[in-house]
Amino acid sequence: MSWVDVEHVSVKVGAATLISDITLGVEPGTWCTIIGPNGAGKTTLVEAVAGLRRIASGTVQIAGQSISALNERERARLVSLVPQHPQVPAGMTVHDYVALGRVAYHGVLRAPSAGDKRVVNEVLERLSLASFAQRDVATLSGGERQRMVLARALAQSTMVIVLDEPTTGLDLRHQMDLLELLKKEVAECGLTIIATLHDLTLAGQFADRLVLLDQGVVVIDGAARDVIRSHELSDHYGMNLRVIDVDGSDVIVPVRN
Amino acid sequence: MSAGPPTEQRVAIVTGVTVVGLVVAMLCGLVVGPTSIGTWRVLGDVLSHVGIGHSTLTGLQSTIVWQLRAPRMVLGLLAGAMLAVAGGTYQGVFRNPLADPYLLGVAAGAGLGATIAIVDVGSGLSTPAWTPLLAFGGAMVAVACTWLIGGKGLRSNAATLILAGVAVSALLTSMQTFLQQQSSANSITHVYLWLLGSLASADWSSVLLVIPYVGICILICVLSGRALDAMSVGEDESRSLGVRVRQVRLIVIAASSLGTAAIVSAVGLIGFVGIIVPHIVRLLVGTSYRRILPISVLFGAAFLVFCDTIARTVMAPSELPLGVVTAVIGAPVFVVILSLRRASVR
Repeated sequence: MSWVDVEHVSVKVGAATLISDITLGVEPGTWCTIIGPNGAGKTTLVEAVAGLRRIASGTVQIAGQSISALNERERARLVSLVPQHPQVPAGMTVHDYVALGRVAYHGVLRAPSAGDKRVVNEVLERLSLASFAQRDVATLSGGERQRMVLARALAQSTMVIVLDEPTTGLDLRHQMDLLELLKKEVAECGLTIIATLHDLTLAGQFADRLVLLDQGVVVIDGAARDVIRSHELSDHYGMNLRVIDVDGSDVIVPVRN
Repeated sequence: MSAGPPTEQRVAIVTGVTVVGLVVAMLCGLVVGPTSIGTWRVLGDVLSHVGIGHSTLTGLQSTIVWQLRAPRMVLGLLAGAMLAVAGGTYQGVFRNPLADPYLLGVAAGAGLGATIAIVDVGSGLSTPAWTPLLAFGGAMVAVACTWLIGGKGLRSNAATLILAGVAVSALLTSMQTFLQQQSSANSITHVYLWLLGSLASADWSSVLLVIPYVGICILICVLSGRALDAMSVGEDESRSLGVRVRQVRLIVIAASSLGTAAIVSAVGLIGFVGIIVPHIVRLLVGTSYRRILPISVLFGAAFLVFCDTIARTVMAPSELPLGVVTAVIGAPVFVVILSLRRASVR
């Protein structure tokens, strides 16, 4: 049994099947990125892993515990989420926003404990956010904001983090910074990452494993380098993709037909 | 007033000023009235009740203070506190700045209940004794209908509930209008007076009747601040943080609605407090519901007692409708604070 075990999971909305019979096992300390064209079901899959989607059939287990059998608070101690479009409430300080990551521990009626405060301050320091801990979240740049959302997820102290397009809206430099930061967390803390990414080059460079979804089903699953170099990739994206080796790294370039 | 998240010092100052305002409003509620009784004599009488000094009030003056003004002041405190905290809670749980305590049909349901009592049961000749009971029942039935229609309780989302509230309110208001239209001119006057809201009929029995509901409901609303702060990031995100969003929503909506229904049944429909007080407090102490809700309790209580003092004195012996005074005082206060805030942000 893997650390994150997705077994024969299907998610439906009304008559539409968004993902169908997906089976996926992710080992601890692994970075698994879900790729695929728009509408492939990437977001649905990661939301199902985070326990935010009603599963029509199958099971999702994390550390041997079925996600659907847990309440929100128990689930939030196992898996944290970095959404594609996080809602950032204006007027809240960066510190208070990151501290929301501890709600699963102290509950909504009690104040954060000394331990909760220590975790929040450590995460703020680690992600270089301490200097603007008292700033209004609405005043942050895109890169700072995304780092803050990641800090909130890290404050949850979960061993599994699910990220849905975490680099959306960031320039190249900030995309790389964020992913490097995550890579460091995986290496140092043994985190398990399940992420979706549209940028195939970045997906290939940072993930240990790539899973290609198309029309709600897994079509390729394997080591990042193998999936990126797979001939089927172009077929599933419906376009001509070329892989170029730049100093040992694969760069995926779309080519006009 | 500086821009950005408020400092602890500013929150402490606002809280301190609000507490002082509350004490002043309570004194006004006891001292000010058509029968002139000196402030110090009333204060002396209040202190004599806790064993300090002796009262110099006559029997009649003591009756005026303790049987007319005091229950009216206490009911005003409870009504202001409940409406303000319910408005703040609704704004948080629905993440909608236009939410007020009447959003889910409490006003329309209470209005229909009161109209049935006055027009049908009381034959329109007066406001019968069971008007509060029918108003309370109407309010609770309205909220229950909204909850059932808006997606069967726990599975509903905020937008669906608001829309269901609009539909239920429209239906019940039309029924109430029909009843009014079918009734005599005299009963229309009684219904209209009830709808405008007033503390004129307050006595200790009405205070004792609402205090258990209102006390518990205010406590639940204030305790929900931390949950509402976590819910400010949206439903899915707050669930991923460990907040049991649907359960929290059920509890705080039930508490806000029950408390509001209890208040409406006792004092009628008092508008403006529930929507404007939480906004004034938000402008002063920032967006955290952990601060907004408790300070709204104090601010709302002081504000309503202060408005009631004006309502019963400026045109004495007749009274101004309380809802009119809350709007006339509250709107300019809100505009002034908003402009100060905008100026400081620039």
